[in-house]
Amino acid sequence: MESSVRRLESDTEVPDQAFEDEIIDLDFHVNPLEDELLAYVEDDRALDKLTTEYGATPIMGKWDAAYGIKEGQEGLFTQGRAKYAEDVAEASETLAVDEPIVNAGINNLNLQHHPVLKNSVCQAANDYMLDHFADEGVYTSMMVPKWDPDYAVEEIERVAGEDNIAAAYSWFDPKVPWGNEQFDPVFEALVENDLPLLLHGSLSYWPQHSYVGDDMLTWTEVLGFDWPVYAMVNVVNMIMRGVFDKFPDLDVVIQEGGHWWVPFLRYRMDEFYEMHPDDIQITPRKMDSGEKYLERTPSEYLRDNIYLCTQPFALPRGAGDAENLLDLSMADDMFIYSSDWPHQTLDPPTWFYTSRAFDDHTRERILSGNAKDILNI
Amino acid sequence: MVDNDDFTKVAEVGDIPKGEGEAFEINGIEIAVFNTGDEYYAISNRCSHQRAPLHKAGDEKINSEDTWTDERGGVDTEACTVSCPWHLWEWDLETGEHEASGQCIGTFDCVVDDNDILVDV
Repeated sequence: MESSVRRLESDTEVPDQAFEDEIIDLDFHVNPLEDELLAYVEDDRALDKLTTEYGATPIMGKWDAAYGIKEGQEGLFTQGRAKYAEDVAEASETLAVDEPIVNAGINNLNLQHHPVLKNSVCQAANDYMLDHFADEGVYTSMMVPKWDPDYAVEEIERVAGEDNIAAAYSWFDPKVPWGNEQFDPVFEALVENDLPLLLHGSLSYWPQHSYVGDDMLTWTEVLGFDWPVYAMVNVVNMIMRGVFDKFPDLDVVIQEGGHWWVPFLRYRMDEFYEMHPDDIQITPRKMDSGEKYLERTPSEYLRDNIYLCTQPFALPRGAGDAENLLDLSMADDMFIYSSDWPHQTLDPPTWFYTSRAFDDHTRERILSGNAKDILNI
Repeated sequence: MVDNDDFTKVAEVGDIPKGEGEAFEINGIEIAVFNTGDEYYAISNRCSHQRAPLHKAGDEKINSEDTWTDERGGVDTEACTVSCPWHLWEWDLETGEHEASGQCIGTFDCVVDDNDILVDV
């Protein structure tokens, strides 16, 4: 029998069916060159200090887990480095991503020491992203400075109304959790501007500067479990401290904090709360409102107000197990696809086509539906 | 001289540069053929982890001049391995094994006959 041979010439890297579906990627990192970023710093005094030999965002002097990656810190650029809109378009095309939601990706900014310098970098990042992405028609997550809620509100009011600002981007970390009342003005500004709050893992905290993290020596522990621990802590803190009773329209997306922990939180929060809810009334927001209980069962806030990016998916191999886990994790309501381009845990949208766990509805909710429900696009 | 009933011609010597690979679909099966300089190796074109196309290993990164290495994964001609372009899983071209996980992907006999590169699928 004559053999049929065909050379594969295509530049596409994911299944053909992915190109037929609408795909929104909620975590696409841009990495401006430092001198191009700093050109946007408005305050000359801050600029002078940001351009010393220390660099604009120095890393604290500890080993981190990047030595677990074949190419070390190069893992942050495993796929390349997007500086401008055309770079994002080129990368998205091969992955069948229709709408990448880009962010400035300066994930070590949160832990920098000096509040004035941090704010200057944040201002510069937002202006760089407006010029090179939002103004070029690319949906952008503006940076929100967690360390300075007053300045965060100022930045939201300055930037959120610009065209193609689709979301706000900040970080979860082992320090003040987002349920703290100091963030209420930020939540109010986000709701007023109809922006979801994307909370990404903070590069500064992997694993440095947390008690358990400091004793994590492997990549698997650090990126696999240190971030999810704090992701869960932040989500539970926001729910139990009444953030979503005060701001029912606030949507929060956890990025790179894991997603398969939903069944654990879902059932455990409800069990504990329903058993002993008496302390809810003495949390600060409830003290103000005079309410005794949460307005809803904790897991209902999880379903309605919290979203989780899926990268890396780590899907069970068995389709039956995967389908059950998706169901228990409320994936149809909570999961949003993210690629994390260009990092070492890149997640092209393959799972949705290679596993029988996804029916059309679940695939559509994760790849675009849930994102469109909350993004300002 | 090889038995041409078993082997299929995929390319000619010179078509696949040293340290690179090309992908072919032979009777519906996707394989990648890599040139290590000394030998040609044929292996499944799909990484078992997430089905990344292995023949893309070694492709230049976007704005590689602003990163520390130029390529996405790549072929190690001395170790006779290919690193996946997505997550750098390292596959032995001869055995198809990924050492850390013990997983294997398919390998196929690959020979040069005269000037032809032939694969037994």
